[in-house]
Amino acid sequence: MSIFRRFAKKKNEAPSAPEATNSRRQFMTHLGAAAGASLLLGRSATAAFGDGSAPLDKPATAWPASFDALATRPQFAPRETPKEGEKIHKFRIEVTIGEHEIVPGVKAHMFLFNNMYPGPEIRVPENEWVQIDLVNSSPENHTIHWHGMILANEMDGVPMGTQWPVFKDQTFRYLFRAQPAGTHFYHCHVMTTLHQMAGLVGSLIVEAKDDIVKKTFPYEREYTMLLSEIDTAWAREQLNEMVGMGMTMDAMNKDPKLMKEMNGRMMGWFKDKKSLLDAIKGGYTPPYLSSMTGANRVITPNFFMINGKSYPMTDELFIKYGENIRVRLIGGGMMPHYIHLHGHDFWHVCQDGSPLAAPVRLNTIPIFPGATSDIIIQGTNPGNWHFHDHSDLSTTNNGIHPGGMMTMLMYEDAEKYGVTFKDTIMIDS
Amino acid sequence: MRFSQPYSRTHRPFSQARRTAGVLSGAAMIGLLAAAAPQGFAQAQQTPIPEEPSTQPQIEIAGTGVATLDLGRSPNALPGGGKASSSQINISDSALMFGAAQRLYKGAIGSFSLGGLTLDESNTGSGTQLFLHQAYVDYQSHSFETYLGRTDQPTAQIVQFPTLRGDDLISFTNILNPFSNGENVEEHRYSNVAAVTLNRGLSTFANFHVQHLINTAGQSGDTGLNSYGVSLQHLSPPTLAAIQKVVSYGAGYEYRSVGRSEGGSSQAVYAGGVINLKPSLNNLVDLRVLDNYTFGNNTSKFSNTSDTFRANSNAVAVAVRYLHSPFGMPSSQLSLTMGYKSYDKVSNANSYGAALTGVKRLGQGVDAVAQYVYQRRDGALANAYGGGREENSVQVGLIFNFDATFNRSIGPRRSLLNLNHQYIPD
Repeated sequence: MSIFRRFAKKKNEAPSAPEATNSRRQFMTHLGAAAGASLLLGRSATAAFGDGSAPLDKPATAWPASFDALATRPQFAPRETPKEGEKIHKFRIEVTIGEHEIVPGVKAHMFLFNNMYPGPEIRVPENEWVQIDLVNSSPENHTIHWHGMILANEMDGVPMGTQWPVFKDQTFRYLFRAQPAGTHFYHCHVMTTLHQMAGLVGSLIVEAKDDIVKKTFPYEREYTMLLSEIDTAWAREQLNEMVGMGMTMDAMNKDPKLMKEMNGRMMGWFKDKKSLLDAIKGGYTPPYLSSMTGANRVITPNFFMINGKSYPMTDELFIKYGENIRVRLIGGGMMPHYIHLHGHDFWHVCQDGSPLAAPVRLNTIPIFPGATSDIIIQGTNPGNWHFHDHSDLSTTNNGIHPGGMMTMLMYEDAEKYGVTFKDTIMIDS
Repeated sequence: MRFSQPYSRTHRPFSQARRTAGVLSGAAMIGLLAAAAPQGFAQAQQTPIPEEPSTQPQIEIAGTGVATLDLGRSPNALPGGGKASSSQINISDSALMFGAAQRLYKGAIGSFSLGGLTLDESNTGSGTQLFLHQAYVDYQSHSFETYLGRTDQPTAQIVQFPTLRGDDLISFTNILNPFSNGENVEEHRYSNVAAVTLNRGLSTFANFHVQHLINTAGQSGDTGLNSYGVSLQHLSPPTLAAIQKVVSYGAGYEYRSVGRSEGGSSQAVYAGGVINLKPSLNNLVDLRVLDNYTFGNNTSKFSNTSDTFRANSNAVAVAVRYLHSPFGMPSSQLSLTMGYKSYDKVSNANSYGAALTGVKRLGQGVDAVAQYVYQRRDGALANAYGGGREENSVQVGLIFNFDATFNRSIGPRRSLLNLNHQYIPD
C-alpha cells in the first residue's frame, strides 16, 4: 500500500515519462491544439543566449567570490525549437468552473485545472521538452504562466504582454524546454489576484538529472506543499462579476450586431500609454478612480490551505526513523507563510528551484508569495509532530482556531520507539 | 431612479430596491443600529433562544435621496395627492433601508429589513412625514422562501417602470389598493404580506401570498387579511439582462375581499414583462409592458376616490427605455412611460398619461434627473379625484443612491455561478 499522499513520489518510480504522468494525473495527450507553439516552430533559433553569439560569458571585472556569475544563464537557448527525435512530454490542461471543498461544509466555486485544485502536478525531466495545451472551457479568459521557467517570451503566459488571453473554447499550445531543474509552479496570469486565488495554480517539478540534494540526503519519499489562501466572499463576488463579463463577451462574439460594439475600452485594453491618455481625454473613466470605486474593500483571506485543503483535511507527511524526506514548499498565494516543524531542525537545500551554496539549518522557514523552498527533514525524533504556519492568522478557518495551514509529520514507526499517543482531530480549541 | 434592471425580491438576501427604501432621521438611525447589537436585543427584547454572540450578521444600509423642483404640479393630480401649490420642492420617495442577514444551518439565509420613505406630506413640513414601507423577516433556502411583514405588494413586483418616482403614473403601473382612501399613495405599493415563494432553478418563481392591504377607506383598526393571491415570474440570469432578448415576464391573480356594501370582491389578473428591443451593452433599448384587469366589483359610479380603485377596469402601461452606456458604463437614460385606463361600468372615466424621463449620471450613484408628466382624465374620474382633467408638470432634480454592505458573508442566491453550476449557499 502506498503511504504517499497526494503529491508524494517514490524513488525509482518511472522517471516522469509522459504516459505515466498522464495516467496518474489524468492528463490526456492532445494533438490537435492551436497555434501558440507554431510561433516557435516556424522560427530559427537565433536567440541571444546559447548560440555562441552572446557576449555574456565573462563578467566585466573579476568577482570577489568563487562562484559562477553566469550560472543563471539558461543551459539551452530559450528560443530553440525541438529537433527531430527529441522527446516531447505532452499534457492537456482544461480550465473549467467547478466546486471545491476546503473543509467539510465549506465549498466554493472555483476555476479548476483539470477539475482539480490545485491543478495537477506536472513532473518532467530536466531539459526535456514540455508541450501543454491549455483548453479553456470556462467563460473567462485565461493563460498559464510557467513560474520559474526560462523559456521563449511568447510562452511566458502574460496576457497582453506576451500573448492574447485564451478565450472560451480556445486552445493555446505552450512549448518549452524544462529548465532550470527544481521546484516551480504554474498559474493563470489573467487577473492574477482573482484567478490564482480562485484555483488556477499548480506545481511544476523539473527533476534534476544529477540531483545534489538526493546525493547529499538520500531520500525515497517527497512531498509537495502548495500554500495558498482565499477570501471566499471576495472571490465569490469577483468570480461572479468576471463570469458575467465573460458570458457577455462570449455572447457578443457570437452575435454580429453585438460584436460591433466590442471595444477594447470595455475590457480596459489599450495598445499603449498614449492610447490610454487619449481615451481619458475622450471621456474614458478608469475604474481605479475614487469616483468609480469609492473605498475598496480590502481582501481578507479567511481560509488558508495546503494543497487546497485546510486543517483538519490537510494531508499528513509520513516518515520513519532514520529516513530522509524532501518537502517542496511553494508560495502559491498572496501572503507569506512561516512554516515551522516541531521537534526537529531541517535543512533548507533549494530556493526557487536552485540548490543553495550550502544547506542551511532551520526549524522555521519563510515561504514568500511566488517563491519555492525545498527542505530535507531527517527522521531523528519519533512521534507525531506539528508542522504548520507560525503566522497564526493562517492557522484558522474563518477566524476559528485550529485550522488553516496545519498538518502533522507522522512517524510510521513511532510506536516501536515508545510513542503511543494517537493524534486526533481538534475542531475547536 | 436606477439604471440597473428593476428590482426583484429574488435578487437579494434581503430584498429592497434603493428607490423603495425609506428615510429615517439620523437620530432614529443611530437608535436602530444600537438596537441591532446583540446586547441591545438582550436588553430590549427576550429572544426565544439566546443568541450566539460571536456570530456577526451581514449588514446592509441602502438609501435614496430624491429631491426635485416641481413646476406646474396640480395639487390634486395624483390620487390622494397633497395640498401643495403648483410649484414645490419635492422630497417624497426618499428612503433609507437597514437590513441584517445571517447564514443559517443547512445553507439557508435569514434576514430582517426595516425602512421608511418620505411621503408627499413631508414636503409641507407637517403631518405624517414618514411611511414605514419595509419591516419584514425573510427565510430563504435554495428552493424555498417565505417572508412575513410590511413590504412591497406582491402584485407590484412583476414589472417596474422607469419613472422618476415609484408612484408616478401609479394608476396605470400598479394594481391599486381597493381599501385605500387615496390620501396616501404608498398604500398602493406596500402592504402587510405573508408569502411563500417556490422556485425552479432560481429562474421561475411562484409566489403564494395573503395580505392585509392597508384599509384607510374603511378606517379599519385591525390588520385582518383582506387579499389573497398568486403570481408567477420568470427572470433571466443576472448581469446578462442587457444582452438577452427576454429579461423577465410574469402574471398573477389577486382576490380582494371588498365588502358587499362597496360593490363586493374586487379581483385582478395581471401580466407583464420586460424585453430588450435592442440588446446591447452600449445602447440598450428595452420595452416594459403591464396589463391589469380588475373585475368582480359592482361599482358603477364614483362617489369617492376609493371607488376608482375597486371598480372594474383595465389598465395598461408601456415604457420604452434607452440606456446609453459608453464602453459598458451607464451614462444616461431616456424613457417614455405611457398608460391608459378604462372602466367597465363607469362611463366618462377613461384616463391616460405619459412621462418622459431623462437621467444623466454625474458619478457613481448620483444622477441629475428631469421629467415631464402629462395626464388626462375624463370628467367622472376627474371629479372623483377632485381635480382638473389635465395635468402638466415638469420636475428637475437630483438623486443620490447608495448601498453599503458590511461584514460580507452571504452571496446572492441568484448568482451566475449558482445558476450555471452547483448551488453553493456560501
